[in-house]
Amino acid sequence: MPLDTSTYNLALLRVDGRRWNELRRVHAQIRTQAAADGSSYLEMGHTKVMCVVTGPSEPGPRRGGVAGGGSGGAGAGGAGGKAEVVVGIVIAGFSSVDRKRHGRGDKRTLELASTVANALAASLHTHLFPHSQINVSLHVLSQDGSLLAALINAATLACVDAGIPMTDYVAACTAGSTSTYAANDEGADPLLDLNHQEEQELPGLTVATLGESDRVAVLVCESRVQVSRLEGMLAVGVDGCKQMREILDRVVRDKGRRMIQEGTVEKGVGLDDMDVD
Amino acid sequence: MPREAEPSLNEKQFVIQALQENLRLDGRELDQYRPLELTFGDQYGVADVTLGNTRILAKATAEVTVPYADRPLDGIFTIATELSPMTSPAFEVNRPTETEVLLSRLLEKTVRRSGALDTESLCLVAGQKCWSVRVDVHALSHDGNLTDAACLAVVAALRHFRKPDTSMEGGRLTVYTPAEREPVPLSWLHSPFCVTWSFFGDEGELAVLDATWLEEQVRVGSCTISLNKHGEICQIAKLGGTPVDAVALLQCTNVALTKVKEFSDLVDQKLAEDLKRRDKGGFMAELRAENDR
Repeated sequence: MPLDTSTYNLALLRVDGRRWNELRRVHAQIRTQAAADGSSYLEMGHTKVMCVVTGPSEPGPRRGGVAGGGSGGAGAGGAGGKAEVVVGIVIAGFSSVDRKRHGRGDKRTLELASTVANALAASLHTHLFPHSQINVSLHVLSQDGSLLAALINAATLACVDAGIPMTDYVAACTAGSTSTYAANDEGADPLLDLNHQEEQELPGLTVATLGESDRVAVLVCESRVQVSRLEGMLAVGVDGCKQMREILDRVVRDKGRRMIQEGTVEKGVGLDDMDVD
Repeated sequence: MPREAEPSLNEKQFVIQALQENLRLDGRELDQYRPLELTFGDQYGVADVTLGNTRILAKATAEVTVPYADRPLDGIFTIATELSPMTSPAFEVNRPTETEVLLSRLLEKTVRRSGALDTESLCLVAGQKCWSVRVDVHALSHDGNLTDAACLAVVAALRHFRKPDTSMEGGRLTVYTPAEREPVPLSWLHSPFCVTWSFFGDEGELAVLDATWLEEQVRVGSCTISLNKHGEICQIAKLGGTPVDAVALLQCTNVALTKVKEFSDLVDQKLAEDLKRRDKGGFMAELRAENDR
């Protein structure tokens, strides 16, 4: 069933009752696994992703070919005196409506892994850890659109938790457009944060930006769309990334404050004048 | 796992500094492609693309098979890429590297998912018989920008390809040889082409088209944009790398559109030339006793 375009035009509400510029509910946690160096859990609507970061640590035995360990792995960086970011993605069989087995060398998963690895490698200060490896393991528990965006956000949070120095958050979200590529109407509204149903029917793209800047780290568009439509979609996407960065930042700050209150970590000297609200 | 030798620090710095002064080692402009050559083979569906020192061969073939159970009305269309060790020592047989996976995904998204080939027209008997069209992409020589060359080769090969004519009579499917009936072209809907931008500099502020292998090794990021001449984006892939300003990316897309129109004209022109070369002047001309000898 296509997105009910008739009702959208009447009430300007989407299938799940959102307006064009609304994100879905984002719920995120960091430090979910006590034993890991860094971990996070992120929900964007019904898309649920877990992430565990190990490292920077000594690289394990040399990997052969593309796959690193589990299913769907890819690395980035690593040449010379930099840490290599190795990302593995496991998509659970129960994560989508049709129970589908994702093989080891599934190209789509490998592409996702490589994208996350390259996006992180550009933001992490990998040059501080020569000859080492940062292992990012992502688990997809439930899929409802914007998967790549959720993976990037979860990986960013887990890297923050692991205490790996980075330039800024890499925050991601998706943007779409209300009419299909064939309809060349100028009145098409851009949409923010597509769910699965919208992703299937409408053209959309995934954007990830670095922090609050307008600089785009990841831009993936997999559907046919008029070139004139790109500008609007990109603008909405970049704006959504800024909102997403605020949300991620709040999650990290909340956790930090709670840890200080509970006495798990000592309040640093400089923290008094630092803004930890 | 063998690894490609990295350029030395001096070499890297030389390339980057030259680019910052708007100079490229081979004297091109930043938004200029290397000389692009497209030739077709004697057989239908063989396209050979040379882009500077990069060379790609694509061959399209078709056979009659059983369609997938979940898509009884669609034919089968696959693109197989192969980067063999003859291209570069970093590639191994039967073990796809990340480059190869990304290349094949990119071709898949650009040509197959954008609906360039009408797969419904490949159906012969619903649920029982269909054409399976397969394009094999072989990289013969790798000097950067495999993506753009491979995409052009695939599109050219498919547009040049002719599949045997068929007919259905009383539930019997007949496939005719080229001698019995002239083979027919595929039902082609639009021609998408890839344009790859490479970014250099600390903030990715230098955008360069058609990077050579040396430039690819020192770049900080890349963005492949696939478009057709009607101005429809089929795919955009900026898979990580140094963040680039959003406005700059939009400009890149607009320049890419002009390049795609050039590619489209080139393929049209070469196809027309090839058609002329093959046209011997009809059936009577073919039956003449005279020959070239």
